[in-house]
Amino acid sequence: FIMVSPDMRFHVIIAAVFWFGFVDSRKIKGISSSYKRFYRQRKSFLCIHGSKIIPFEQVNDDYCDCDDGSDEPGTSACPRGRFYCTNLGFRPHYIPSSRVNDGICDCCDASDEYNSHAHCQNTCWNLGQRERAYVAGQMRTLDEGLQLKQQLIEEGLLLWRENRELQQVAEDLQIKLEEHRRKKHKADRLKEQTLKGLQAGDSSLFKRQNSTVISTFQLLDSNNDGSITVDEVQAKVALVHDEERVLSEDEAVALLGGGDQMDLTKFQHTLWDILTKGDSVKVNYGPDWEFLFLNSQCYKLNVYGYTYTLCPFNQVTQKSTAGTEVSLGRWGMWAATPKHQYSQMVYENGEPCWQGGSRSTTVTLTCGTETALLSVKEPSKCQYIMDFQTPVACQPVLKQRGIHSEL
Amino acid sequence: MAAFTERMAPVLMLWLVMSLSGTWAVDKGNFKTCDQSAFCKRQRALKPGESPYRALLETMELTSTRLTLQLINDNNKVHLLLELYRLQGNITRVKINELKPLKPRYEVPDVLIREPSTEPLSLLSQDENGVVLSLGSESQRVIVSARPFRLDIMEGRDVLMSLNSRGLLAFEQLRMRKDTQVDPEGEKKEEADLANQAEKAKEEEEKVEDGMWEETFKSHSDSKPNGPSAISLDFSLPGVEHVYGIPEHADTLRLKTTDNGDPYRLYNLDVFQYELYNPMALYGAVPVMLAHNAQRTTGIFWLNAAETWVDISSNTAGKTVFGKMLDYVQGSSETPQTDVRWISESGIIDVFIMLGPTPKDVFSQYASLTGTQSFPPEAAVGYHQCRWNYNDQEDVTSVDAGFDEHNIPYDYIWLDIEHTDGKRYFTWDPHKFATPKEMLQGLMDKKRKMVAIVDPHIKVDSNYKIHNEIRNRAFYIKNKDGGDYEGWCWPGSAGYPDFTRADMRDWWASMFAYDQYEGSMENLYTWNDMNEPSVFNGPEVTMHKDAVHGAWEHRDVHNLYGFYVQMATAQGLIRRSGGVERPFVLTRAFFAGSQRYGAVWTGDNAAEWDHLKISIPMCLSLGLVGISFCGADVGGFFKSPSTELLVRWYQTGAYQPFFRAHAHLDTPRREPWLFGPENTALIREAVRQRYTLLPYWYQQFYHSHRTGQPIMRPLWVEYPQDPATFALDDEFLIGRDLLVHPVTEEGARGVTAYLPGKDEVWFDVHTFQKHNGAQNLYIPVTISSIPVFQRGGSIIPRKSRVRRSSTCMMQDPYTLYVALNPQRTAEGELYIDDGHTFNYEKKEFIHRKLFFANNMLSSENLAPDAQFSTRSWFERIVILGASKPSKVTLKTADGQESQLEFDFDASMSVLTLRKPSMNAGLDWNVMLQ
Repeated sequence: FIMVSPDMRFHVIIAAVFWFGFVDSRKIKGISSSYKRFYRQRKSFLCIHGSKIIPFEQVNDDYCDCDDGSDEPGTSACPRGRFYCTNLGFRPHYIPSSRVNDGICDCCDASDEYNSHAHCQNTCWNLGQRERAYVAGQMRTLDEGLQLKQQLIEEGLLLWRENRELQQVAEDLQIKLEEHRRKKHKADRLKEQTLKGLQAGDSSLFKRQNSTVISTFQLLDSNNDGSITVDEVQAKVALVHDEERVLSEDEAVALLGGGDQMDLTKFQHTLWDILTKGDSVKVNYGPDWEFLFLNSQCYKLNVYGYTYTLCPFNQVTQKSTAGTEVSLGRWGMWAATPKHQYSQMVYENGEPCWQGGSRSTTVTLTCGTETALLSVKEPSKCQYIMDFQTPVACQPVLKQRGIHSEL
Repeated sequence: MAAFTERMAPVLMLWLVMSLSGTWAVDKGNFKTCDQSAFCKRQRALKPGESPYRALLETMELTSTRLTLQLINDNNKVHLLLELYRLQGNITRVKINELKPLKPRYEVPDVLIREPSTEPLSLLSQDENGVVLSLGSESQRVIVSARPFRLDIMEGRDVLMSLNSRGLLAFEQLRMRKDTQVDPEGEKKEEADLANQAEKAKEEEEKVEDGMWEETFKSHSDSKPNGPSAISLDFSLPGVEHVYGIPEHADTLRLKTTDNGDPYRLYNLDVFQYELYNPMALYGAVPVMLAHNAQRTTGIFWLNAAETWVDISSNTAGKTVFGKMLDYVQGSSETPQTDVRWISESGIIDVFIMLGPTPKDVFSQYASLTGTQSFPPEAAVGYHQCRWNYNDQEDVTSVDAGFDEHNIPYDYIWLDIEHTDGKRYFTWDPHKFATPKEMLQGLMDKKRKMVAIVDPHIKVDSNYKIHNEIRNRAFYIKNKDGGDYEGWCWPGSAGYPDFTRADMRDWWASMFAYDQYEGSMENLYTWNDMNEPSVFNGPEVTMHKDAVHGAWEHRDVHNLYGFYVQMATAQGLIRRSGGVERPFVLTRAFFAGSQRYGAVWTGDNAAEWDHLKISIPMCLSLGLVGISFCGADVGGFFKSPSTELLVRWYQTGAYQPFFRAHAHLDTPRREPWLFGPENTALIREAVRQRYTLLPYWYQQFYHSHRTGQPIMRPLWVEYPQDPATFALDDEFLIGRDLLVHPVTEEGARGVTAYLPGKDEVWFDVHTFQKHNGAQNLYIPVTISSIPVFQRGGSIIPRKSRVRRSSTCMMQDPYTLYVALNPQRTAEGELYIDDGHTFNYEKKEFIHRKLFFANNMLSSENLAPDAQFSTRSWFERIVILGASKPSKVTLKTADGQESQLEFDFDASMSVLTLRKPSMNAGLDWNVMLQ
């Protein structure tokens, strides 16, 4: 229909009248239905940005007339042009005009290679199915993830409340202990050790020695039954500004996280943890404290002979098969993206690098039903990126992306 | 890649710490000065004066092709043999060797493409003072003066060049070491040889200097079993003030005098973080110098592969009047003169004097000796994306996808050393590159290609096939004690195959066969790095000179090693395809003749503005000596470029022959889209400009391959009579029709470009504005500006549909840019072939001449005996400097005539013909009326 020789004109006019009702559906290659209105006139064509009027037969004649590329939506002629892949059964999208007839299949409906040696199959249906299955999977994951997240939020809130109360008591204790230390030096050895252990300022000592957790626990656990009771706390822990006074039961219960007793594991993860990490409550664990449960957890992944360990809100390390452990960064901050404030964590100031600077790691959080480290990469030297999946990263915003069903 | 990874063995770490020592620049202490190189020091101590050499005219023999005669050193009575040839194409060859050397001296093989054809020499006159020989018809003569010996090449009354006119010919004859004479048998033998004894007596009078029989540099000792063997010769160039060439140096295009410092050094070295504007040796060596003045261009090719130093001085003092033969020579002392002196550690004097007279003649003359630029696959002329390192297959896939996402074309993605299994070349890391063929197929599906590195150092590991085979075949270079030479390089302890052996190269080539090089496919090409050779724990980070290559020492062949590595590799790539496909091999080390095997880059530069600037003279210098396929690491290898520098480097690199971005392992990522959308757009635009010009670039490569003319040219090559062009090295020509003045200053607001040609005009390729020649033009610039001009009188074909890769653009239509000169004429060429095979040698190509005259543009077949067809057509013709026609008629080969639509922009005088549509391979003409 593009080349019209003079002797055919008569027939063409007849045909045009006859086809009048069909004109709109006449195929202009490379445009979406929403653009069809620009191509309705049959005598002339106005470049969409209005720069020029050209005869209509110069639309898609493989020569670029319009600066905006609008006269050649279906050919590769215009440098700034774009071609619309209808991709029935899958997602429609635009490709740059330069990919039309370049011998590479870009549109799944093969419409971009209408004049090339490439043998393109229409794969839209398969892709669409795969996409639908994927989206369905994603939705399931999201649903499950959101449920899990809710649980974790609830647990986190409880934990947070406990921690906060503990923290308050502990801070109170610390202040008192500090005062005590300045004033008096005759506290008995056992007590002193115990109290020192409870000082946040000395926490580094304890962090380095795992056994200290246990030994402190054992000091408190007078009867060695593997759990600390209210009595034991009252017996071993004294308020320093008033040594003579025994802690009240309420105070002891508070230290035990609101319960009657506390075993080593709980001690380690609550009281101990709070006391040795004075700042832990100040970390931003998300609007609903949903990330709190990641605190004191670690996740490992082996990549190319290295074991990577991510301990959220704490640190990232890399261990070689030879066994040397290198810090890839300590907890720095959340790196907000415009879409999402809690999608990336940054760990900084790891082991120094050979040519200056220090190792750092950026962790991207994605929604999943399990919490796991998915991948580790080092795109530039000493700059690591990790993909980390967890239900708490699930956001109730993921919508099913439009699968094309336009005719 | 001279730096180290952090995971190297402790020994290497120690070296690293020493070599870095806190500073950024090169540690000069790692490399010898002339004073620290015993032979250079000895030779340089000789001052100009009367030469002790005398020509023994009675020994002269003249055949139709050569003259021989003996020279004698009156101080020590050692006889030398001079051979003089007149070679086809206005070249004179002078060879000097010992008449009876104690053992043969090394003569460089394999660099000349064939034994040069000779032309008859005839005797014009002779007397006791010398002889005069005719160098053919152009009144060119060579005068051999006897006492002292010197050679003068004359044309008419002008001396073009004199040899030994400053008396610096020196030839350290091979000799027995004196302290070896305690060996009684040896003594007996010598007693028997009376003649020898006489010479020995003479020799004993010569001072034995330090460094003649043993030399130590830093902790390295050179055992020098053959003793001193240096050679030296001086050349005087009357009337010459500008000399060029002798790459590789990070220096200006115009060579400087060396009176107040070290000579220019030619010794292939892996220099860590090289410094600019000095004569230190770098990775490659081409011992070719060009001399130019407004009347004539000449060249000196010093064929010697040993360590070489070149002194340049400029004065008028060295001119002496001599003998009645030269009485008519005008001794005008005002004439400027450049004196050059070459000093090499071993081998013989074998020098080719290329007499021009034009720059083009010199290029042809040199090409007739060492060959022309290899004709690369067209894709290799596109953009290359490299980094040390793309970490794994996923990384490769995502970078590849990044180019599509950001709509930036590229043709090759590169893998550096980390892709191998423990730096064992020809292997892949089993985890990171577990399925290389899948990766290569993925690239092939996008019509893209890959280059993987293959270095010549071979990991000493009995579980490594390549090592075992080389060892079993005794292909390794030997150390002085006869064992396999071992040095430290990337893999730790490594052996170095003896690439000077033809059988070794043959075997190496066979390793590139698809069934040998596992995981390789036809879109995998090769990069030879570290082939100086680099030896981390060797003297000057290279091989010990007393290492042994069969009958020769490493000393003799050093500068050839990299040349041979690339030769063998290119041979391998040709052979794996059964001789069908053109290879592409990049090398860091090179020698004269390396142009025949692929591309060269300027090594480990840095992300600094001065390094961007120096890329121009460095590549221009290489182009002058035959190596056209040259580029510098875009962005700079060491350190991290500012965004502005990176953009400017892309803009510059897009207009240099080899266009590859590369970055050090320790630098942050710098793929083009990582610097915000505006900078991505700037880089995209620069790369797109490269791709639209691919037809022109490809045609330049074809032309260079056919003729040996450089692609990237200094202006003086095209404007040899305009002294204003002689020292320009911040702008250059591509072919003869495009002038490029890249912006290489930080924060530039404008550049001043010299537009040459008194009667010429130049068109800004972006605005089509016309400028007159022979002026310094100030061009205001923004960050998007790349000042490029098309010469009035030229026709340049472009492809305006920039696609994902050059291969995707193969069948695309052309746009012709016809830039009219003041006479309203223009001409250009169009070359088309399949872009990747050797079938062009079987005349499968299209080569057309396009010309515009008398308001008619025509296409004429330049190769009527060639056969090729193309689907490409002409979509547009843009005529710059045109006037408005009333009608435009296209006439095609079948006699059909049709009217063409056109558009005329009166403000710029640009006429655009719409869609003429004729096939690019056919005859046609377009008439403007």
